[in-house]
Amino acid sequence: MSMMPILQATSLHKSYLSGERHIEVLRGVDLVVAAGESVSIRGESGSGKSTLLNLLSGLDAPDSGELRWEGEASLTPVRRGRLLGLVFQAFYLVPELDAEANVLLAARLVGKVGEPERARARELLRRVGLAERAQHVPAKLSGGERQRVAIARALMNRPRLILADEPTGNLDEGSGDAIIDLLLSLGREEGCALVLVTHNAAHAARCARRLFLREGGFHAA
Amino acid sequence: MSWPIYLALKQLFPTGRRFPFFTFISILGVALGVTLLIVSISVMGGFGREIRTMIVHTQGEVQVRAAGLMENPGAVMDAVKTVRGVVAATPFAEGVVMIKRDRQPAFPAIQGVDMDRVDEVVPLRRYIIAGDFEDLDDDRVILSSQLAISIGARIGDTVMVYSPLLLEKLQADEVLMPRELEVCGIFEIGHQQLDSSVVIVTLRTMQELYGLGRAVHGVNVRLAPGADPDRVAREINRVLPVNGFAKSWMDANSEFLFVLQLEKNMIFFLLLFIIVVAAFSVASSLLIAVVRKTREIGLLGALGASPRQVAACFCYQGIIIGVTGTALGLALGFTVVHFRNHLVAGFTRLTGSQEALERFYQFSQLPAHLSGKDLALIVCSALVVSTLAGLLPAWRAAKLKPVEALRSE
Repeated sequence: MSMMPILQATSLHKSYLSGERHIEVLRGVDLVVAAGESVSIRGESGSGKSTLLNLLSGLDAPDSGELRWEGEASLTPVRRGRLLGLVFQAFYLVPELDAEANVLLAARLVGKVGEPERARARELLRRVGLAERAQHVPAKLSGGERQRVAIARALMNRPRLILADEPTGNLDEGSGDAIIDLLLSLGREEGCALVLVTHNAAHAARCARRLFLREGGFHAA
Repeated sequence: MSWPIYLALKQLFPTGRRFPFFTFISILGVALGVTLLIVSISVMGGFGREIRTMIVHTQGEVQVRAAGLMENPGAVMDAVKTVRGVVAATPFAEGVVMIKRDRQPAFPAIQGVDMDRVDEVVPLRRYIIAGDFEDLDDDRVILSSQLAISIGARIGDTVMVYSPLLLEKLQADEVLMPRELEVCGIFEIGHQQLDSSVVIVTLRTMQELYGLGRAVHGVNVRLAPGADPDRVAREINRVLPVNGFAKSWMDANSEFLFVLQLEKNMIFFLLLFIIVVAAFSVASSLLIAVVRKTREIGLLGALGASPRQVAACFCYQGIIIGVTGTALGLALGFTVVHFRNHLVAGFTRLTGSQEALERFYQFSQLPAHLSGKDLALIVCSALVVSTLAGLLPAWRAAKLKPVEALRSE
C-alpha cells in the first residue's frame, strides 16, 4: 500500500458573507487522512463540519489553503466519483430508480456498466442486508434501508475514502448504530478510509481518530 | 447506453410506475399536433393533387398558343413532336357561345377538340357520366353536368348554339341561323367552374361556329411520364415555326398553384403552433422537474457527472418526448387518414350534411396525399421544436452547482 495520504488538507480557510457580516467558518484547518484510517469529526451546529466536508470532497473550494487527493491538487468530477464515496444525511437516492439501479448509478456516472458492475452492486446490497429488496424503489424502503443503499452506492466504485456527512442524522438510534457498524465494517473490508462527520459522541468514538471542530479549527475531542 | 439517456428514460418512465402521467400528457401534446398536421396536410395535398390532375387532364401538360390564330396546326404539331419528352399533341379551338334550350339560355365556354387525336392527350372520355364520347360528331355536343341541369338538357335533346360570328354577319346585313346540335354526352370533372359552363364540340364544328377556316387557337401537348413540363415548354419555344408560345401547366396556372401552396403553408404554420404550445408545456414541466430535483441534480454532480452531462439528461428528455410523440402522432395521423372517408361519412350521417357536403365541396370521398417532403418537414419540425423545449431546463440544470443544489430545501 502506498504511504501517500489519501487526503491532505493544509491551512484551509473558508468564510461566508451573511448580510454585511463576514463569517469565517474555517480558520486554517489541517487534516491528513491515511489509507484505511477512520476519522470522526464532531462539532456543534454551525461549527463548519459540513462546510469542511464539502471542501474535502472537492464540491466547494477553500478561500485559501491547499487540498491534495492522493497527492494531486485537482479533482475532476469523474476522479471524485472514483476516488471518493459520499454518504449524506438525507440519503439522496434517485426516486425513479430501484435500489440496485441506485447503487449502479455511481458506476454509470464514471464509466460503463457491465455484468461485473451489476454483480458488485448485487453483492454490496447483499452485504448491507438488502439482497431481497434490490428491485424496490426508495419510496418502498425505510429510512435505515435507504441509507444502506446509499452506503452501497458510496462503495460501488471501490473508493479510497468515504466522506459521510451525518449519515445517522435522519435515523432512530437503533438504525443509526447499525449504519455506523456497517460503514466501519465495510470500510475495513474494502480497505478504504472514512471521514465521519457527526454530532453523536458514541458514533464518533467508534473511529480510530476523533477530532472536534470549534471556532474554525480542530481541537482534541 | 450513456447514463444521461438512461436517466432521462428512467425519469420519464420510472421503475414501478405503470402510467407516468406527466410523460403521457407531454407525449400526447406533441402527438396531437403531429396528427393534426398529418391529416390536414394530407387532405390539402389530396385536393391539390386532384386539382393538378384535373388541370393536366383538360389542358395537357404543355399548351402551345399562337399570337392570334394558328393557321397551320399540323406544322406546329410536327415541330412539337421533335422535342424530347413529347408523346402526343392535339389542336384545339375555344371561345364563348350562347346556348339555348327552350327558353333557357346560357353562355358557356366552348372547346373544339380533334376527335382523331384528343384521346392521346386529354382523357375527356374518363369524365363522361352520361351518353358516349364516341357519339360526338359535327352535329352533336357534350355538355358539362351543371350546365345540362341549368338548361334542362338531357341526352338526345337539341340545343341552339349562337356564336359571335352571327353578330358579325348581322353587321354585314347577313343572317346566319344558329346551329342546332344534339346532346350526346354529359361530363363532370369535379371542378365547379368547368362543370357549370363548358361545352365540347368537334374541332370542325368549332371552326365553323367561329369562322376559323382551318385555323385553331392552340395545341395541347402530352408528355412522357417523368418529363419536366417546364423544360419541355422551353425546348418547344425554341423549335416553334410560328409566332406562338408554349407554357407548362404549372406556368399557365401559376397564380392558382401559388394560392394552393400558400393555403397549405398557412395551415402548416398555424397547426405547427399546436406543437409549439405542446413544447412550451414540455419545457414548463421539465423546468418544474429541475426545481423539484435540484438535490438529485446536485447528487449527480457530486457522484461524478459533469454539467454538460446533466444538461444532456434533460435535453434527452425533450428529445425522447419529441420522438415518442412524433411516432405516436404519425401512427394516429395515418390511421385517421386511412379511415378518413368512414369518419366523414359518420360525421355527415350524424349531422345530416352528406348532401350539402357533396353540393358545396363536390366530393363524397376525401382525397389524401402526403409527399415525402411534407412528411419530412412535419417530422423534423416536431423533433426540432421538442428538442428546443428541453434546452432551457437543461441549461438551468447545468448551471446548478452541486454544493448549492445539495444544500437546497
